[in-house]
Amino acid sequence: MSALLASGAHFGHSQKRMNPNFVPYAYGVRAGITIIDLDHTLPLLRRAAQVVRGVAARGGSVVFVGTRTDLRSAVRLAAERMGKQGYHVGERWLPGTLTNKVHMFGPEVARDTQVIPDLVVFLNPIPNIHAIRECALEHVPTIGIVDSNVDPRIVMYPIPANDESTRTAELVAGLLSVAGREGVAIYQEEQARAAIAASKRSRSREPLA
Amino acid sequence: MTPSLESGRSFPLATQSRPGRLSARTCALVRQRARSPSSSVSLSRALVSGAVRGTMNIAKQVAGGALRFRAYATAAYVPPASLEGMQRARPPPSKPKPESPSFYTGRANYFDQLLALEKAAKQTRTALQELQILPLPRFAQQNLPPSPGYRRFIGQLNQLNEYRRLAEVAGHMELAGRIQRVLDMFERENKDAILAQGKRKPVKFDEFGRSYTIGRRKESTARVWVIKAKEAASSSTAAAGQGEAQPSQDAPAVGIPGFTRGPLSMAPTPIKVPTTNILVNNIPLVEYFPHLSDRERIVRPFRIAGLLGAYNVFALVRGGGSTGQSGALALGIAKALAAHVPEVEPLLRKAKMLKRDPRMVERKKTGRAKSRKAYTWVKR
Repeated sequence: MSALLASGAHFGHSQKRMNPNFVPYAYGVRAGITIIDLDHTLPLLRRAAQVVRGVAARGGSVVFVGTRTDLRSAVRLAAERMGKQGYHVGERWLPGTLTNKVHMFGPEVARDTQVIPDLVVFLNPIPNIHAIRECALEHVPTIGIVDSNVDPRIVMYPIPANDESTRTAELVAGLLSVAGREGVAIYQEEQARAAIAASKRSRSREPLA
Repeated sequence: MTPSLESGRSFPLATQSRPGRLSARTCALVRQRARSPSSSVSLSRALVSGAVRGTMNIAKQVAGGALRFRAYATAAYVPPASLEGMQRARPPPSKPKPESPSFYTGRANYFDQLLALEKAAKQTRTALQELQILPLPRFAQQNLPPSPGYRRFIGQLNQLNEYRRLAEVAGHMELAGRIQRVLDMFERENKDAILAQGKRKPVKFDEFGRSYTIGRRKESTARVWVIKAKEAASSSTAAAGQGEAQPSQDAPAVGIPGFTRGPLSMAPTPIKVPTTNILVNNIPLVEYFPHLSDRERIVRPFRIAGLLGAYNVFALVRGGGSTGQSGALALGIAKALAAHVPEVEPLLRKAKMLKRDPRMVERKKTGRAKSRKAYTWVKR
């Protein structure tokens, strides 16, 4: 796992426009570029995967956001892996999607469906800072690939890594979506078990009635 | 090493970086006690009390979700045994989730269809590649059958059309007819519908001979049904002829007294004035438009066409005020008359009765009191 991460074009980003809050995740500087410490990245990535699995296992909806042309397919595939609980945003995130949902989707949809997702994953948080703010306002937990020029506290579960590399983003999205797929499987198993138990209960009640 | 996670539904505090074993509150308490000038004994006591408080927190966590977030020090201690039979607060019924995976883009239908198309194109590309059709080698590209060649076809048809026109103009109708039959083989069935798409549609009459037209003026719309008035009780009079004097019920028609010779001594021939009705919103015209100017405006198309008693009118008018409604009605009536009696159309057109008055109320502008009126000019 660690070897895979190290082999991906994953380490090091941005000249010395480093955010001071990023220092704990930085290994050092070389040739004017901040190198990210992968020994910190790996456990945080595992933690993020646990979060996605946990949210999916409780029937939560996960949105993958990647608004660059090269991230579009990665985000769509990740959402496809999670089946009914996965969503994707490959183009610009429209401001007001969560905070202005009545205007955006119509009063019937806003009233009858659960519009606010249970988790949002950002593959490029810098252009989507307004989306992150909306998630914070609506109390939605966020996961994001934070780079060295970004304050890692903007998302709830940061993954310090290179956000400009397509392979890194695909790797992270793939990992999280696979964990999400496991969570979806757990949820469906539970639902099936509950359905069987409910049908048994109803059958056991029938002769009494 | 990896810290354990609580349930994924906790409220997000983006500043929470490393959740540890002890709750943050316990840590704060310990730190507070440690800062006071005390010996290690009191510190251990603080740790113990902190640990006790930790267990108290766990008991409250067991109790239910509501208490978890309101674990104040002043809350009463409830022994776990008495929490056994307590009813837990049921979670609110969950709403169904959105169906489309591109719901959060805001344009789910568009992106779903676009992605489906992209997927179809991708699959087609792989299939063609498997069949070795893509990429096409040079010799195959050169030997592809040519595209249909519609340009030549249409060129020839245009040429034939030109010859047909020449033949018509020259007067050789038979030749023109034969060329037309050749052209008809290539024409569409709905050719007339397509040609008439941009043009004004002719007014249609229903099975009772009523025309339906619409007239508009300012903010008013008038829907007008016009039907030819029947010559009802005039059949006997028509048969009798015009010269015969019909004695009216009130007084016999006589010449003017004092004249024994000449035209004024003769009794006038009674003229049967045909009466027709004009109903506006099911109300007679006189009641609906009390002002003479409005009524005159409505009757003007009849006067110009010379068809004053010839047609009955039923109209539904909506919007605007009396002037707008009467103008809309007049336009609707003029259009209907032009449809009933096509000879009258040039007369109405010359009198500008068939033109929809384009004048509308001008909008108010910012910086002005009304559309044109300016505020009082102030020198300073």
